[in-house]
Amino acid sequence: MGPSISLNNVSLTLAGNRVLDPISVELAAGQLHMLVGPNGAGKTSLLKSLLGLMPHGGEINRHWPDPNGKGLNAVRMPAYIPQQSQFDVVLPVTIEDYMSAIISPRPLFFRQSAKVRHQVAELLEQLGLGDKAGLQLGQLSGGERQRLMFAQALFRQSSLWFLDEPMTGLDTEGQTLITDLIGQFRDKRHTLVMVHHDMAFVRRHADNVLIINAGLEAMGPPQLVLVTGTGVSEVA
Amino acid sequence: MESLRSMLFELQAGGYLPDMFQYGFLINGLVAALMIGPLLGGMGSLVVIKRLAFFSEAVGHAALTGIAIGILLGEPASHPFAALFGFCLIFALLLHWVKSRTSVPYDALVGVFLAVAIATGAALLLYVARKVNVHILENVLFGSILTVQDSDLAILAVVSGICILAMLLFGNNALVATLNPELARVSEIPVRLYDYIFVVLIALITVAAVKIAGAILVGAMLLIPATTARLVTRNVMQFFWCNILISTSCSLAGILLPMAFDLPVPSGASIVLLASLGFVLAVGYNRMRMFM
Repeated sequence: MGPSISLNNVSLTLAGNRVLDPISVELAAGQLHMLVGPNGAGKTSLLKSLLGLMPHGGEINRHWPDPNGKGLNAVRMPAYIPQQSQFDVVLPVTIEDYMSAIISPRPLFFRQSAKVRHQVAELLEQLGLGDKAGLQLGQLSGGERQRLMFAQALFRQSSLWFLDEPMTGLDTEGQTLITDLIGQFRDKRHTLVMVHHDMAFVRRHADNVLIINAGLEAMGPPQLVLVTGTGVSEVA
Repeated sequence: MESLRSMLFELQAGGYLPDMFQYGFLINGLVAALMIGPLLGGMGSLVVIKRLAFFSEAVGHAALTGIAIGILLGEPASHPFAALFGFCLIFALLLHWVKSRTSVPYDALVGVFLAVAIATGAALLLYVARKVNVHILENVLFGSILTVQDSDLAILAVVSGICILAMLLFGNNALVATLNPELARVSEIPVRLYDYIFVVLIALITVAAVKIAGAILVGAMLLIPATTARLVTRNVMQFFWCNILISTSCSLAGILLPMAFDLPVPSGASIVLLASLGFVLAVGYNRMRMFM
């Protein structure tokens, strides 16, 4: 099971501009928390603050259900799906290279062990990239890059996920695949924090919604926070 | 080294090797090339992947100032290593430090640092040139196999060892950190530490390769073979070994050809010209492949 996350007066100021007013909330363990709000509202900045990627004010703490646990629960490193990854178009780094570099300490200029190659193949197959292992990163479409990000994140076997608009660029098949994965994580009671714009998806899947607009405007179950329609303007 | 030289002298005397192998400096130069080739090739792969070609070029040019400072401080003009390494290291670390604390685009920042280093070096060298034989300066700036000594080979071996160790220990993490620094940070990869380690390695390589490639042309040898290899390879393993092959063969040929044809060309210049020829051929091959 994933951890709960407590935010105590978390605020963010960039280049003198206040991006987020202080937020104090508790994100419950084992739930899908979805951050919604208009463009430029500070959703991605908040997500990055939760990941420790941005210098923020206030305190963010993760509380693991089993502090001394071993095995899967002890995997504390979060999995992160960034908004959109860009790669150098002519860099001779293939999908297989990228995954091997993440999985194996053995330098890429040596042939990887059969175990690592099998592990890479399995992860890529799971994300529908099995036949694209030899493609260079720069040749990938937006959707394929997104699938690759999920493949590398799956390797971490984390029970804490941060996802920034994970459906961006994905075709219908890809969206179904990722929705199924998110469903599996919820079944395993992983904690997920996700930025998303599709209100239908939010209504259907979120356990908890945070409406962000330069601060926290509202928080609660989608049926209470999002009353009707498709936009965040219809906040209760 | 002495036993290797004796063995090759005997082979030359026996008619198994060309006449040029009767010179000890050539053997020293070839041994240096056999170490410099893989060193520059291997690290050049990371330079290109990290898009730090301009940075390594700037560190190479900063050597100009380092040499001038060394001579002014009383170091031997033929190998002012302490000042050379010290200045290159300070230059590289300062540049990297400023980069992380300013919003100035990186290429513009490197350009500013490069201009300052060259201007300072030019001003100091004019003064230094009155004190030492200008040919000694040429040797350091553009490379010369005549000046390679056993101590230089020892420095090269140590630097090569350090770089190999760093590549073996951190190579994959450094690649991940380069391709996606945010993901790497989330995965607890010390991205900033790797950047600084890389900066130190570039400064070390500049010092180690100065005798053969020349201070001014070291950066080019980090860049050109890797850029060439990038054009003709499809994955990291191919890229790395192809880069080393190009770099090593150009280093060896750059030393042997001027000797064989009695051409008065500094070793650094001949190595870089050969590597550039390889680059032109790779560009042509790449164009042809697009139309095939």
